[in-house]
Amino acid sequence: MIKKIAITGFGIVAPSGIDKKAFWANIKAGRSAIKKIERYDSSLYPSHIGGQIHDLDAYSHVSSRLLQKIDPFSHMALIASELALKDAGIDVSKENLNNIGIFMGNALGGWLYGETELRDLYIEGREGVSPYMASAWFPAAPQGQVSIYYGIKGYSKTVVSDRASSLMAIGHAIKILVKDKVEFILAGGMEAPLSPYGLLCCNTNGELSKNNEHPEEAYKPFDKARDGFVVGEGAGIMILESEDRAKKRGKKAFAYITGYGTTCDGVDRIKSDPGGKQLARAIRIALDDAGYRPEDIDYISLDGAATFEGDVSEVAAIKEVFGKDAKDIPVSAPKTMFGNLLGASGAVDVLVTLLAMEHSLIPPTLNLKEIDPECLGLNYCRDKAKEHSIRRAIVISRGRGGINAVLALEKG
Amino acid sequence: MDTKTKVKDCIVKLLKVKPEEVKEGLSLEQSLGVDSTEMVEVCIALQKEFGISIQEKEVAKQHSVEQIAKVIDSKKKA
Repeated sequence: MIKKIAITGFGIVAPSGIDKKAFWANIKAGRSAIKKIERYDSSLYPSHIGGQIHDLDAYSHVSSRLLQKIDPFSHMALIASELALKDAGIDVSKENLNNIGIFMGNALGGWLYGETELRDLYIEGREGVSPYMASAWFPAAPQGQVSIYYGIKGYSKTVVSDRASSLMAIGHAIKILVKDKVEFILAGGMEAPLSPYGLLCCNTNGELSKNNEHPEEAYKPFDKARDGFVVGEGAGIMILESEDRAKKRGKKAFAYITGYGTTCDGVDRIKSDPGGKQLARAIRIALDDAGYRPEDIDYISLDGAATFEGDVSEVAAIKEVFGKDAKDIPVSAPKTMFGNLLGASGAVDVLVTLLAMEHSLIPPTLNLKEIDPECLGLNYCRDKAKEHSIRRAIVISRGRGGINAVLALEKG
Repeated sequence: MDTKTKVKDCIVKLLKVKPEEVKEGLSLEQSLGVDSTEMVEVCIALQKEFGISIQEKEVAKQHSVEQIAKVIDSKKKA
């Protein structure tokens, strides 16, 4: 990459907390936010646990009039965007609106709005359906809502690439910033998969944990007893700008994005290639892009799919790239505390990594009691956060069908 | 309750705005910034409220509450 891209502000809306202070307190303490889903009767779903957000309205400046026209995933994006802009010290009204971009990702779209209106269609007929249905559910809706809310008019894009969506959105965003097409970008992702139909789709996919009796212990990637991941809802948005612009306005970067790599397995419509060859290549591309050697990396944020193929291939890829250093570099999957936010997971993992860099603390992987023999050989941070200085890190995010995305970060 | 008050109540409830935001003599677009999609909702809500058929072209965002009430009264008489 020709120049480094600065992350100068970020907003988190997650089951572990809204805004970074509350969120980090829970992550640091290794506290699980996974609970039974009780906002409707989900007891007949094979997996009915998740990371839920209960107090969205308390943080929202969004009017009731607008809220009835949008799905919760757009609401989360609006809150996270507001927090990110505030954190970056940016007043959008004083900026050239044509030179601001929005790059966001999600996997499912806004299903609560969609399924509610479809129910009305079958019960009340055509006139029972809100005219906002067309604009509320589709995956680019949050990008549109953030754009309308602030009057942003620059080069923007929504990426739909399963669980890798938001990391890929960030990857696209940095390419645009490197070319100076916009001044700064709101980048990240959002997901609201816990609606009755959304959760059903996640269940039929067959990759969710069925350990409903012990929600906090259910998500256990790399463990011998893993049985799938636990889904969660939330959003993570960050402000990306060139290093020069950040310096000019006297804003210290939390971190710089220094490299990005993405590849496809091309093997199966759901499962990862167990060999992890293409994930290894994505890691190498990101490292080369950043000009790093494998031994430069101080922390790896894991995807942690908690499926056999997902875990084994991730470990294999890391061992292949990092060789003898693989056993020493701290690795963890902090999403075990708040759930896999699907399309938003990559962005939130980046934000957790920024906080880890700031506090020199590796966030833990919960529930990793007995490591699967096929996943041995990595330096897992388990149960409790561990003090460790992080200067350079990579974040891995993967989607169904063998999508691999890797971002390289350097502390600001 | 007269038609004008019923129309106003219906709009206030639907759009979740304060009654004082609906200004006398001003169009819905001027007083509330109603857009064309919201107007579709308004039209459907008025049909349910008054039990009559209203075409979308008969009530527009450029109309005030008073003008919409007149349209409804004339349709009720017809």
